[in-house]
Amino acid sequence: MALVTNGATTALASVVFLKMHEFPRRPVTEQARLRAQLEAAVAITAAELDPASRIVLDAADGAAVVVLGDPLGALRLAERSLFAAAAGLPLAIGINHGAVQLAGAGRGDEGLAGDGIAVAANVAEFAVPSALLVSRSFRDALADVQPGLETQMLSAGSFTDAGLRTHEIFAPDHRVPRRRHRRYLAASIAAAILLVGAGVGARIQAEGQEKFLSAVAAKYRDTTAQGRSYWRDLMSKVKF
Amino acid sequence: MAKKKLSKIGRYKIIGELGRGAMGIVYRAEDPNLDRVVALKTILLSDDAEGRKDYHKRFFLEAKAAGKLTHPHIVTTYDFGEEEDFAFLAMELLEGTELRTRMKEGPLDIAEAVDIAQQVADGLGFAHERGVVHRDIKPGNIMILPRGQAKIMDFGIARMRSDDFKTSTGIVMGTPRFMSPEQVAGEPVDQRSDIFSLGVVLYEMITGTALFAGEDTPQIAHNVTSVEHTPPSRLNPDVPSMLDFAVARALKKDPAVRYQDAYEFAVDLRTCLAELRSRETAGKKGEKEGTRTVKIDSTTNRAPLAPAARSIASDTQLPLSKQFDSFAAVQRLNAPHRRDRKLLQLPRPVGFLRRVSVDAGPRLLFLSSLVAAAAGLYVALG
Repeated sequence: MALVTNGATTALASVVFLKMHEFPRRPVTEQARLRAQLEAAVAITAAELDPASRIVLDAADGAAVVVLGDPLGALRLAERSLFAAAAGLPLAIGINHGAVQLAGAGRGDEGLAGDGIAVAANVAEFAVPSALLVSRSFRDALADVQPGLETQMLSAGSFTDAGLRTHEIFAPDHRVPRRRHRRYLAASIAAAILLVGAGVGARIQAEGQEKFLSAVAAKYRDTTAQGRSYWRDLMSKVKF
Repeated sequence: MAKKKLSKIGRYKIIGELGRGAMGIVYRAEDPNLDRVVALKTILLSDDAEGRKDYHKRFFLEAKAAGKLTHPHIVTTYDFGEEEDFAFLAMELLEGTELRTRMKEGPLDIAEAVDIAQQVADGLGFAHERGVVHRDIKPGNIMILPRGQAKIMDFGIARMRSDDFKTSTGIVMGTPRFMSPEQVAGEPVDQRSDIFSLGVVLYEMITGTALFAGEDTPQIAHNVTSVEHTPPSRLNPDVPSMLDFAVARALKKDPAVRYQDAYEFAVDLRTCLAELRSRETAGKKGEKEGTRTVKIDSTTNRAPLAPAARSIASDTQLPLSKQFDSFAAVQRLNAPHRRDRKLLQLPRPVGFLRRVSVDAGPRLLFLSSLVAAAAGLYVALG
């Protein structure tokens, strides 16, 4: 996977593409204002990242921030940048995790190239203003660093770019973790009831219901007589 | 015509020759009726009778339209007519320098260049309002008068030339370097084509480079239609960001996203000019007071702009932003450390063990099932 092309290392990084909606159609004075506003927003949001982990690139209608080895940081940056939309910056954001490579001959034309940037730009192009979309590969990168976090990214369909490549895209939904937690809690309770019930059922089948109930009642009496809680006692035995 | 020594064309008395071009000769002439010295531009007519008839009709139409344009930034056409095998236009005689000559003398000051461009844009706006499109805006067709006033020359001439004056191989004569993409493609043109051409002229004035230069006409045509320009600020750090945007908008390949109106372009250029002049004033004030002006304006030495999102292909690159210091990260990317192994690896799929050990939901389900299973077993075995 270590890719070296023409002497330049190709790395996999998260690319946050911040695209200003309808930028080319806006009056030039507004373009200059929006550009300054975007630079301010990037300065604030990128300050949270380690300087050795982020590379800021210019695009004609926005900016791209390449985040090295920190998909979570990239997601945070994108989400914080979206708040800038509330201040009148019409941002559409696309995130992708893909290949980037240093490019340029070192005469002031240094930059980054690669599919990672191209796909992020395409995803941003597809997003509506004030929206954040991520690619499948970014979702996988999130899952790698923090399993479970990727479930926040709900499928938003797929689209085909100008180069006829189809991209599967996802949109974050912050209500998902709570819903998911509730679902897992319910499943855990159901599984517990089912498994304990199965044990009770097996015992009843082996000894008969009356014998089982009288044995439980006797144990309950014994433990309470000893000043202990029957249920606590039962749990401590189960906990190995 | 060139060999024959002319003393009179129409009612105009020839005084001398001002210059020669592909279309004919420009004379200094005198109008005896008004006792006025004019520039008399002659245009060689086609030998073919049919072609000449067509040409004749169009020439008078265009010349009439151009004659209606009286504006401080457009050379006034006084009169037009036909004599033997050439047509002529009597125009205002200007004592100045062609912008082409001025550009050859050396780089123009940015404010001066923007001033010229906004004057030309004003002139174009006036002509466009009256339904006249120039079609051949280039430095050779802009005259700079001694006080800095710019005047557009040859309104209405370009169309005559492009339609009638072709080489034997069928190639249209002219200057494709300043043509708009739609003009190069032979599509119908409107006022936005002039705006593109003016954008090219402005670009060349402020950067001192030939924007769509090429070895031959097809190469130039390809560059005009396909090559995105490098932002002027990248070639000249004194170019303010707003001028970058104005040039970018004028040079849009798609006329629909270009300036739709030359006046709109002129307004933006005036704003740029105000910024440039205030910067100059601030600089002079600083010198006068013995202080040193330090440029902290983010618009100077700004980063180059890259192609718009939709045009980024995998083989194109985005430039590093000069507003942000990315040196440490670039170094890390250039020579990854051992701990950066992850930068070279694809994300791993999350397996069962990792899932139940890290992901809270599955971990809860797994552990509760495990405890419940143990409890069930304990109960079952008594």
